[in-house]
Amino acid sequence: MRTIAEINEKISRRQAVAWTVEELKARVKESGVAKAFKQVDVICTGTFEPMESSGAIINLGHTDPPIKIRQCWLDGIPAYAGFGAVDLYLGATAMADYSSSDVLDGNLRQGTERERGGAHVIEDLIAGKPVQLRAIGQMTDCYPRASFENTITKESINQFYLFNPRNLYQNFIVGVNGGDRPLFTYLGPLQPRLANAVYSNPGAISPLLNDPDLQLIGIGTKVFLGGGIGYVAWEGTQHFPLQKRLPNRTPIGPAATVALIADAKQMNPYWVRGCYLHNYGPSLMLGVGVPLPVLQEEVVHHCAIQDKEIVAPVMDFSIPRRVRPTFGLVTYEQLKSGRITIEGKSVRVAPLASIYLSRKVAEELKQWIIAGKFTITEPVATIPQDRSFIAQDRRGSQFTLE
Amino acid sequence: MKKRVTLTFPTNIVQMPITYRLAKDFNVAANIIRAQVAPNQVGKLVVELLGDIDEVDAAIEWMRLQEIHVSLASGEINIDEDICVDCGLCTGVCPTQALTLDPETFRLQFRRSRCIVCEQCIPTCPVGAISTNL
Ligand code: SF4
Ligand code: SF4
Repeated sequence: MRTIAEINEKISRRQAVAWTVEELKARVKESGVAKAFKQVDVICTGTFEPMESSGAIINLGHTDPPIKIRQCWLDGIPAYAGFGAVDLYLGATAMADYSSSDVLDGNLRQGTERERGGAHVIEDLIAGKPVQLRAIGQMTDCYPRASFENTITKESINQFYLFNPRNLYQNFIVGVNGGDRPLFTYLGPLQPRLANAVYSNPGAISPLLNDPDLQLIGIGTKVFLGGGIGYVAWEGTQHFPLQKRLPNRTPIGPAATVALIADAKQMNPYWVRGCYLHNYGPSLMLGVGVPLPVLQEEVVHHCAIQDKEIVAPVMDFSIPRRVRPTFGLVTYEQLKSGRITIEGKSVRVAPLASIYLSRKVAEELKQWIIAGKFTITEPVATIPQDRSFIAQDRRGSQFTLE
Repeated sequence: MKKRVTLTFPTNIVQMPITYRLAKDFNVAANIIRAQVAPNQVGKLVVELLGDIDEVDAAIEWMRLQEIHVSLASGEINIDEDICVDCGLCTGVCPTQALTLDPETFRLQFRRSRCIVCEQCIPTCPVGAISTNL
């Protein structure tokens, strides 16, 4: 048994032993769980994948005379302004909305490409680039100003932090297209007649698959987010811990999620990348690393899980329904081999998560811990493990294992 | 027959309605794959010409007489390593396996000799790391 306080004490003396989750898996294979447990204090997991349910909170600072912003655009991308006077929320998937172009003059969206979304503006701000701001206010006695235009950078605004309602999906799906026309999806292009398949979770290295029942990760857990330090803020939206699970406790499809929060001013654009999925829309690729403190042997046991012991369902996107038909389950070992077999047909399969950068996140977090720069936290509350999944959403993730 | 060509226009004839002339005078359909045309600049167009073989050849002959440079070689694919995040999404659409992920490092590998410049990978890349040298 170890405690978080003991581990932090070792971290501050730079004596903590941190391994990436892949190093742990290799060591367990070599010499077993008990021996690995004796040696390691912290196991570092990481992922780098599109996480579209992400966005940034921005507080601009007041103007003179002051303005209560009701509508706002950053580089032509609308940001939500229906709260504090100069508070904004810029969603990763927001796109230029041409419908309101008659409200302002036509120049507003000059230079706004369709493929650019909120995520790209977030990346630019993090990179220190200037961003055009246009705002329309509601004139009141407190806030007489009607409109405002400026150029902002991360240095010229008060708060700038990511607050992502749903990140770190614990497992996901594999997309295929059994129809006869190409489909453009949030997993990228899916070619007709099962010509390709795409998966988006990095499998056995993915943070939440190594703590399947969220016994270590909870509200308040400190994480690596986009190159800065962040925290688990809450359960994520669509958090569905009751997903069917294998005997090793990993879910057979999308399950737990977490909401993350972190100061964007500390982040590095290398780990925060605006992306665009062709004919679908913008999204945000994000590097997230989660340290797992090795408090008891069970932690090592869970982290030893291999790609061949984790499965994901193959879903047919040609039927645009909430509950899509599935072609059964495949293991991450099969997925990472580059080919899976569906109905007797060999189909090439590509990832959407960067496995290379996921590993690099875990390695970076490990270096921070070894160098004494990153201590770990005890969760202040657990994440509920009894949430059912209420159907109403447009993206189903409940399916049966028959 | 189908022929892919790269057309380079001198500045003075960038304005010419080229696809209209090809269709009307030669019965050749020109499917534009990529275009880079701006007033008073040298324009470039990659088109797929579709029509009877003699008519396609006649159309190419005519374009050369108009001082349009016609190249039968299409562009080359370039991958910007500083932009690429090694997600691998492009490997799923590449028909020739010119793009693959290294099974150990999971880094993108590009074997140019296998590339047929079909350009399917270009719109697939979510971070815009792939381009042609057009
Ligand atoms: S252009 Fe076509 S063949 Fe060449 S790398 Fe891209 S997808 Fe592959
Ligand atoms: S899709 Fe783009 S970012 Fe992803 S591996 Fe291919 S070139 Fe790199």
